[in-house]
Amino acid sequence: GINAEYGTPPHLTSTLNKQPNRFIMSIMEYNGGAVVAMVGKGCVAIASDKRYGVQAQTVGFDFEKVFRIQERTFVGLTGLATDVQTMASKLEFRTKLYELREERQMTPKVLAHLLSQLLYEKRFGPYFTEPVVAGLDGKGEPYICAMDLIGAQELAKDFVVTGTCTENLFGMCESLWRPDLEEDELFEIVSQCLLASVDRDATSGWGAVVHIINADGVRTRHLKTRQD
Amino acid sequence: MARAYDARTTIFSPEGRLYQVEYAMEAISHAGTAVGILSTSGIVLAAEKKSVSPLLEPVASSDKMHKVDSHVAVAVAGITADANILVDHSRLVAQRYSYEYGEPQPVEQLVRRVCDMKQGYTQFGGLRPFGVAFLFAGWDEQHGLQLYASDPSGNYGGWKARAIGANAQAATSILKQEWNDELDLDGALKLALKVLSKTMDSTTLTPDKLDFATLTHSEAGGVAFKLLGNKRMQKLLDETTLDNTEDD
Repeated sequence: GINAEYGTPPHLTSTLNKQPNRFIMSIMEYNGGAVVAMVGKGCVAIASDKRYGVQAQTVGFDFEKVFRIQERTFVGLTGLATDVQTMASKLEFRTKLYELREERQMTPKVLAHLLSQLLYEKRFGPYFTEPVVAGLDGKGEPYICAMDLIGAQELAKDFVVTGTCTENLFGMCESLWRPDLEEDELFEIVSQCLLASVDRDATSGWGAVVHIINADGVRTRHLKTRQD
Repeated sequence: MARAYDARTTIFSPEGRLYQVEYAMEAISHAGTAVGILSTSGIVLAAEKKSVSPLLEPVASSDKMHKVDSHVAVAVAGITADANILVDHSRLVAQRYSYEYGEPQPVEQLVRRVCDMKQGYTQFGGLRPFGVAFLFAGWDEQHGLQLYASDPSGNYGGWKARAIGANAQAATSILKQEWNDELDLDGALKLALKVLSKTMDSTTLTPDKLDFATLTHSEAGGVAFKLLGNKRMQKLLDETTLDNTEDD
């Protein structure tokens, strides 16, 4: 990175120990990002930021982190960008085969289970991504769940969050969410939760996308955000 | 005289034939006819459903038509159990390609991979060949709509119209006369029905004896593979019978 070419800025080196600057973030923070999913009345929302960054530098603002894996099921992934893309590809592979063989859609619950298995397979050399599943099952019941990088599932009835600003997201969601939100309210609330959270996170933001899934289909909206 | 040489698949007869392959083709000639027709606006795959017994539970999915990927489908003639292995294999092949390249696999490549598998069973392992012939219908960006036919030897060809299974020769002669490059999808559907009505030995045709499907492509919607429902099938039957009576 920059430090290799020009040397570490003097104000960031220790005068005593001459240690190199700790500018390497953890692998999960290298690219940054945020995804949140929420349950509403007969619907679910899933939203993410659009930043593609390499540590402090932003390299793109159109980066897809939420993928429509089935008709009514989305998966949002944060963490290392390459693993976000790889997991999305692996899921597409598996769900395509499922669809062809079983001639039906995979339910969100089953998808989450599959995702968990795929992650645990790499238990001792994992994919650095923590996904979120959001969708409606065959009967139109909302389903959301989050996972850590080795597939431990967390089922929730209200909301799930993942990314580099989960503390912010938890705080916002806990404050703003309430049960039985109608679609328009859900959209407002999930958007506010995401925006307020990423605005206080250096490595998230640069645009946002929100999907609202109901029994009739999906509404996708792109949000104009602070471009910093 | 040939009997002495048919015990092993992996050897030639003195006349340079592979008897097991030929016997596999014989098995296919007893299976329900399948017809594929290329038209200007799509491909028609049509097949005769040979029902073995009235006691059989009707299956929701067809055993003559299968989707292999979003842009490729097959019609089957031959031993169903053998076909199921190959269909599942071709689905894996298609997904592995799109996983690696992020794009749908070109149709001919997919056909080639399936045929290469079939060919293996004529040369290695001492296992019998697959008793299956396929009609592959697909679309890709390079070559648009395509129809391929494969047989147990692993040979394949690209076709404008093709018939496999029982009475394939009779079907082919009708196709030779009637196919033309201006046929649209509706024309192809009617032609397919005409061909099957001549090759099937049942007196009256009903939707439950037939499996009809179309594979079409549009800029907006991409590739669509649709099995015709009973109502649509009945409508087609009514329209075509009317046409036939007019000719007579």
